Amino acid sequence: MIAMDFFRLIIQSLAGLGNALCFLGDILRNVLRGKVRYGEVLRQVYEQGAQSVVIIALTSFATGAVLAIQGAETLSRFGAKQYIAQLVAWSLVREMSPVFTAIIFSAKAGARITAELGTMNVNDQMLATRALGVDPIEYLIVPRMLACFLVMPILTIVSEIVGIAGGYLVGIFEANIPGPYYINQTLRAVRYVDFFSGFAKVFFFAVLVGWICCYQGFVTQGGSLGVGKYTTKAVAYSIIIVILSNTVLTKLIITFWG
Amino acid sequence: MIRVEHLFKSFDGQKVLNDISFSVPEGEILVILGASGTGKSVLLKCMMGLMKPDKGQIWIDDKEITRLPEGDLLKVRKHIGYLFQEGALYDFMTVYENIAFPLQEHTALDQRAIEAKVKNALELVDLQGVEGKHPSELSGGMKKRVGLARSIILGSKILFCDEPTSGLDPIRSRDISSLIKNVSKRLLCTTVITSHDIRNSFYVADRCALIRDGKIIAMGTRSQMEASSNAFVKEFIH
Repeated sequence: MIAMDFFRLIIQSLAGLGNALCFLGDILRNVLRGKVRYGEVLRQVYEQGAQSVVIIALTSFATGAVLAIQGAETLSRFGAKQYIAQLVAWSLVREMSPVFTAIIFSAKAGARITAELGTMNVNDQMLATRALGVDPIEYLIVPRMLACFLVMPILTIVSEIVGIAGGYLVGIFEANIPGPYYINQTLRAVRYVDFFSGFAKVFFFAVLVGWICCYQGFVTQGGSLGVGKYTTKAVAYSIIIVILSNTVLTKLIITFWG
Repeated sequence: MIRVEHLFKSFDGQKVLNDISFSVPEGEILVILGASGTGKSVLLKCMMGLMKPDKGQIWIDDKEITRLPEGDLLKVRKHIGYLFQEGALYDFMTVYENIAFPLQEHTALDQRAIEAKVKNALELVDLQGVEGKHPSELSGGMKKRVGLARSIILGSKILFCDEPTSGLDPIRSRDISSLIKNVSKRLLCTTVITSHDIRNSFYVADRCALIRDGKIIAMGTRSQMEASSNAFVKEFIH
């Protein structure tokens, strides 16, 4: 009996993954055929960006500051306090900003996307779109997905700049490092490869978060309870996938890119 | 104009539509009657191509739609108006934007022409001065009127209405039924309505069909239905 249930679960999971891949295929097909509503994409960029930028800036500032505080404490034991700027910049640019941005974006904008699409689904608005002769993937999904792809890198840059600013303030006021020296060290520390390796991750996370959140909204059923359930699922899946894929991406980037 | 032949549809082994066949000639209003959960909405969704039947054929204007891919179905649906049970209006759009949406999508009309058409459609459903409101600010009956205006805005000659009187009080039910009848006759639409509201169905319909256990057990005009000797038909309509 347990084996049967397990087997059924595997089959259901595979079917779900297959449907989600077909959904991603439909999105890509629309994009490649140029079926993109640019006005709607811009509206989504504004909504998703405006919704997440403040919280991402706040957490990044705090993260940068904490990294600098911890760095000052640890590095001063080895007489290497002057490397705080490098520590903060590397950590933020290579790892923390891309991952934190993706996680916070999932919880704010991603949850909104799923809840919005899910509510439309349970209120028959998605069906009405098809009934009106309009493809809901083209009209509702592609703009949201593309907006994720555009917004998340911008938010990551905001996160990196604000995070470095947080570290800078701690560096000059707490660790007494001269401001120009801190800035110079930061600029010298971050190489193009550091910046682009973090950036490559963000694009990957953007596709994953957009895909998961849009798909969960697209398949939502079960009324208002269903909207809650699928929204929670979307955020949980997004965060797990971002964290797990980050491990693999980091290994790949370090192996092939340095 | 519409022909349904030997239609079958099941969900998890439970037969919802079990060999349904009927046709609706041009300009006729057919009301599909049945208790809740008898598959009326499923039938309408299959006829709109929103749901694939397991077996059977559906002909809309000499085009068999059950095997059409989604891309071709989108084109077919442009010529069919569909009124959803709760209106299914977009929350993020105003009434004006909701009604104008099909015109913006499928025609090359300029802003002024669209405004005129929306105004005209709102007059036709007897609803004016609400263009700037959002669906959340409207009553159930008003939402259905806006939904009806949106479904006829492209001048479709086929109109499907899913339970248009559900959730409305008797007076509003009568109003919306009368509105559908007037709009349908005025625009010469072939109309299929699902309902469990006998009084208004008899008022609006040229013919009625009664569904039970996934089958049509009676079909005909009001007098034919009233004269039926079938015990369930008698019980349902009286």
